[in-house]
Amino acid sequence: MLEIKNLTKVYDDGTVALKNVSFDVQDGEFLVVIGLSGSGKSTLLRCINRLIDPTEGQIIFNGEDVAALPQSDLRHVRRKIGMVFQHFNLVKRSSVLTNVLAGRLGYINPYKSLAGNFPPSIRKRALEVLDHLGIANQAKKRADELSGGQQQRVGIARALMQDPELILADEPVASLDPVLAHSILGTLESLNQETGITVICSLHYLDLVQRYATRVIGLRSGEIVYRGTGKDIRQMTDEEFKDIYGEEAVRVSAGKREE
Amino acid sequence: MSAATKTKEKKPLISPVLSLILSIPVPGLGQLVSGKIRRGLLLIGSFATLAFLYWWRLKAIGHRQTTLIDIFKKALQLNGLFTVLLLIGLAGLYAWILVDAFKQAKKSRPEGTGIFFLILFLFFAVGWQISQIEMGKLTSRFSEAWVPLKKILWPWDAAITYEKDVFEAAAQILVDSDEAPPPVPEQKEGEPYLVANPTYGNLSRLDENNKVIPGSRINLKGSGFKPETLTQIWWADSIGNEFRPRQEGQYVTVITDKDGAFEYDLIMPYRLTPPSAVGLQYHEVMARQIFEKGRALPSEPLILTVDLIIETIFMGMMATFFGIILSIPVSFLAARNLMSSSWITVTIYYVTRTILNIIRSIEPLIWALIAVVWVGLGPFAGIVALTIHSVAALAKLYSEAIENIDPGPIEAIQATGATKLQVIRYAVVPQMIPPFVSFTIYRWDINVRMSTVIGMVGGGGIGFLLVQYIRLLDYKSAGIAVWFIAVTVSILDYVSANIRKRFI
Ligand SMILES: Nc1ncnc2c1ncn2[C@@H]1O[C@H](COP(=O)(O)OP(=O)(O)OP(=O)(O)O)[C@@H](O)[C@H]1O
Ligand SMILES: [Mg+2]
Repeated sequence: MLEIKNLTKVYDDGTVALKNVSFDVQDGEFLVVIGLSGSGKSTLLRCINRLIDPTEGQIIFNGEDVAALPQSDLRHVRRKIGMVFQHFNLVKRSSVLTNVLAGRLGYINPYKSLAGNFPPSIRKRALEVLDHLGIANQAKKRADELSGGQQQRVGIARALMQDPELILADEPVASLDPVLAHSILGTLESLNQETGITVICSLHYLDLVQRYATRVIGLRSGEIVYRGTGKDIRQMTDEEFKDIYGEEAVRVSAGKREE
Repeated sequence: MSAATKTKEKKPLISPVLSLILSIPVPGLGQLVSGKIRRGLLLIGSFATLAFLYWWRLKAIGHRQTTLIDIFKKALQLNGLFTVLLLIGLAGLYAWILVDAFKQAKKSRPEGTGIFFLILFLFFAVGWQISQIEMGKLTSRFSEAWVPLKKILWPWDAAITYEKDVFEAAAQILVDSDEAPPPVPEQKEGEPYLVANPTYGNLSRLDENNKVIPGSRINLKGSGFKPETLTQIWWADSIGNEFRPRQEGQYVTVITDKDGAFEYDLIMPYRLTPPSAVGLQYHEVMARQIFEKGRALPSEPLILTVDLIIETIFMGMMATFFGIILSIPVSFLAARNLMSSSWITVTIYYVTRTILNIIRSIEPLIWALIAVVWVGLGPFAGIVALTIHSVAALAKLYSEAIENIDPGPIEAIQATGATKLQVIRYAVVPQMIPPFVSFTIYRWDINVRMSTVIGMVGGGGIGFLLVQYIRLLDYKSAGIAVWFIAVTVSILDYVSANIRKRFI
């Protein structure tokens, strides 16, 4: 469903964040991107929905090159790609429901939506999604009144409102404790398995990678230095691990935090 | 441990005795030279300043004296406590500095801070004298102040007047001439009637030593008034200004007899003839009976106060309104995150910020003085002054709100496929509205507060009235204005705090 070909990103200040990155993603995969801080994980995910404009290369999503699309045509691609963020990126002062409804903005008439009204069918849908994620009773609250785990569920609910074929999750659990991390990733996993939504997720904790990934790519200084399955990574050698996390890295056994 | 060895190594630069000797001509020099530079400078500066201030105050107290001894004697006589206390204090400080100079050069010993408390105390004593503090006045003058204060605290009997019925008759008087005396008015049945005899005369005047030369005596005969009633005598000059003449310090009043008649000899009052007056000057003398008919009415001060408090609130509102409109565009120029793209925009940012800071640091009252010169007296001047200050204050607050916008939600809404307008509506506006509303309400609150005083310099609003009443010693009316200001400001304070709480 997604084909990345020779993707390169050079920032204005000359930082080369991605170097000639190529990989495929199949329908229904749970692809995990790993790599040290600064290795280009966020840059990669943000290129896929063009929050960042890539410098070179192709991003073929359902047969269409996203990298070549003019800004005005991005709407139709973006609304099929949900995104979940490390810091949730909710509008803190808006209600949970409004935050979730915003996920539908790509579908509704831009001018009608400026008044702040959403059709009843969409409101009903939003409540259903919240209910599915177990936070329907929080709908009226202000987003910043919720706990971290609840806020990330709102973030996922917003992405689900898009009827996404693909969800990009940039370190979705990095600011949550381990129990919540499992619960959020479990939610993403069940969405992935039950509704067939493809997931590309960057993660920091090795045990989470081992538990949820169906496939793994490792980045280092903007280059892919590792490709494997979730099972592969469980048997990863120290050499391979150092390739990804740098020479100074120490292997951390599953379940412990890796800095 | 290491600190101790370090201090042992660090030898004093000069011997204690030399340090002491150096401090004799210049108190603190010893400390300075022996390496305690900051301490030395502080001591030299403090001692010199205190000595100068002491001398300056002595000269002010014992002015007109020329020699040092005379000044001191006079000061001792007029303000002995200050003169002696500070002299002892300064001598003590001098001695202490000498001892300190010796000690500080001896070894690296902890620098005592006691000496600075003495210095602080001496500055405090000088300050007390300079600012003419007389705590005694707080109590000794209180009983005097209590009379007007009572009126200000409870002015409400002046808030009401009663409907009046006026019963009056008038007679014309030709002033300072006898060319064409006015005729005696015609008598009408059932109406009050006043005859002046003669119908001309000289006003009282002042001689070169400001002594009063009494005017002509005029016989007043009234009839047809209400019997046995207090009747006031009024005078009106040629341009119709009315006043009550006094005789021996008292307002002239007469009491009618049982037929409603009276007779009185009035000395013509003192009145300057307006320079514009030409020709014969006809004044008027009047006899007036005033009856309060009982229906309570708001008094003039109350009506004026209500009028002006409304004006004040709206002045604050209009200034806030103009402030918002003008500060929004300026706030974009003053927002660092929007202006960091090139050196030109960065320059604009700094220039804008600097101008805003300067404008803000000038008090609205000063702006009002300028605005009064610019657009003339009245509420508009107040609005201009408050608007100028509001623009600067609001632009700073708004620009900080813009700087504090979280880019996360913007990115997230973009990622849903929303258009630019939708991103602004759903990610930017919700973040902007709360600080915007909160700052604006706060500003309105401040502006109304400020407009209550801005009138004092001629900028319209209630302040003008308040100052006038106080100058006229009309403390009850002033009290009404004070009450209205207090109530308005506290209501506003409460409302604005409540609204702001909801938006934070
Ligand atoms: N806007 C930018 N301008 C310039 N350089 C940037 C920008 N954003 C990121 N970079 C640089 O690009 C490189 C990759 O950054 P990126 O955020 O993609 O890494 P990451 O793997 O997501 O790191 P982390 O785990 O810390 O989130 C880094 O060297 C970073 O400093
Ligand atoms: Mg990142």
